[in-house]
Amino acid sequence: MNIPLNIDWQQILLHLFNFAILAGGLYLLLFKPVKAFMEKRESYYKNIDAEAQKKLQDAEGLKDSYARRMQEADEEIAARKAQAQQEMERAREASLQSARDEAAQILDKARTASAQEHDRMLRDTQKELVEIATAAAEKVLKGGQGDPYEQFLTAAKRGEPNA
Amino acid sequence: MKNKKVFIIVWLAVVVLLGVLSVVVGSPGRAETVQETMRDAVLHETGQISLFGLKDVNPGLISAFTVTGILLVLAALIRIFAIPRFKMVPGRFQMLVEQAVGLFDNLAKNNSPWRHKFLGVYLFAAGAYIFVGTVFELFGVQAVTTAGHSITLPAPLSDVNGAICIGCLSYLVILSGGIAGNGVGGIGKTLKEFSLPISMSFRLFGALLSGLLVTELVYYYIHLSFVLPVAVGVMFTLLHALIQTYVLTMLTALYYGEVSEPSHKEKKAKKAKSAA
Repeated sequence: MNIPLNIDWQQILLHLFNFAILAGGLYLLLFKPVKAFMEKRESYYKNIDAEAQKKLQDAEGLKDSYARRMQEADEEIAARKAQAQQEMERAREASLQSARDEAAQILDKARTASAQEHDRMLRDTQKELVEIATAAAEKVLKGGQGDPYEQFLTAAKRGEPNA
Repeated sequence: MKNKKVFIIVWLAVVVLLGVLSVVVGSPGRAETVQETMRDAVLHETGQISLFGLKDVNPGLISAFTVTGILLVLAALIRIFAIPRFKMVPGRFQMLVEQAVGLFDNLAKNNSPWRHKFLGVYLFAAGAYIFVGTVFELFGVQAVTTAGHSITLPAPLSDVNGAICIGCLSYLVILSGGIAGNGVGGIGKTLKEFSLPISMSFRLFGALLSGLLVTELVYYYIHLSFVLPVAVGVMFTLLHALIQTYVLTMLTALYYGEVSEPSHKEKKAKKAKSAA
């Protein structure tokens, strides 16, 4: 049977044979190694990307934890500040109270001391008055004789031998 | 400046002289008419070449073996000298090689995401074969026919046997995808497109043969042999190479993806199984 266009089954098979060699050769020599290299590079960059993502996530986590810590520290500072304020108020109140108490004590002591001084002075004065009065009374009682010692001194002045 | 002018004048004079001489002197006479030349370009009834003394074959088959040899040597050189030196940040040549592989691999992935490993390899091989085979005719490699004439080796796929081989092989690849993806249902799906092998074969054959015929026609008449071959030979051949590579690989990938797509019934059955 004559096939139109000079089609030859044997030559078609020879073309197939040729193409099979070409396809196999290109697959082994070019396609497979180049694709393997491209996949290797893809996985390399994917790994880098994954590592970067992980680092980014870690950094985000750290940032959050630091933010939380900062917030906690702020809250603690505020609480301590309030506590210190309260303690300061209490200390101020306490020192004011103690100052008031001390002042009252000083005042009491001063009052007591002044009363005691007053009493002592009164007693001394009374005692002095009593002594003066006693002395005056003795003087009055002795009259014109005067004091023997005075008398002796007077006689000595006059040069009397019995002096 | 003066030397430059002298050079240009001499050069133009030589060119014009040679042009005039080539037209005036003429040739000793043609071995065949334009009709015979073009008929032979299609049918290869007389211009056959002996294949190692075993059989007389069409020049396209010799071209096919030559192209395969060139491609395999190139691939081996790249494998030995270039690929071991590939870097993470590619240079120009590495980029070119990666683009060539990635182009066909991505074409397979995009059109048949569920099954694409073998398809990628086939598309790469077929694409390289069609492109390099078409560009091959530009180099004007000479061979001697059994009748003793010297002929320029044509593109392998301008031979109807080569085109039928690639067209039918593409159909078989599509069929294999259908079987691998859907079993007997895949065969049915592929057989629905029974006209594919014929359309693919003759599209390739027609496209490349038309280029060959235009080139033959242009070179047949000496008056058309100046300047025009630059456009006809280079531009048309390059365009043919690109377009035919794209068309065949795209069609194969498209049909392969279509017939190898898992059917919805299977998907539902799988879902029901996984739900249970």
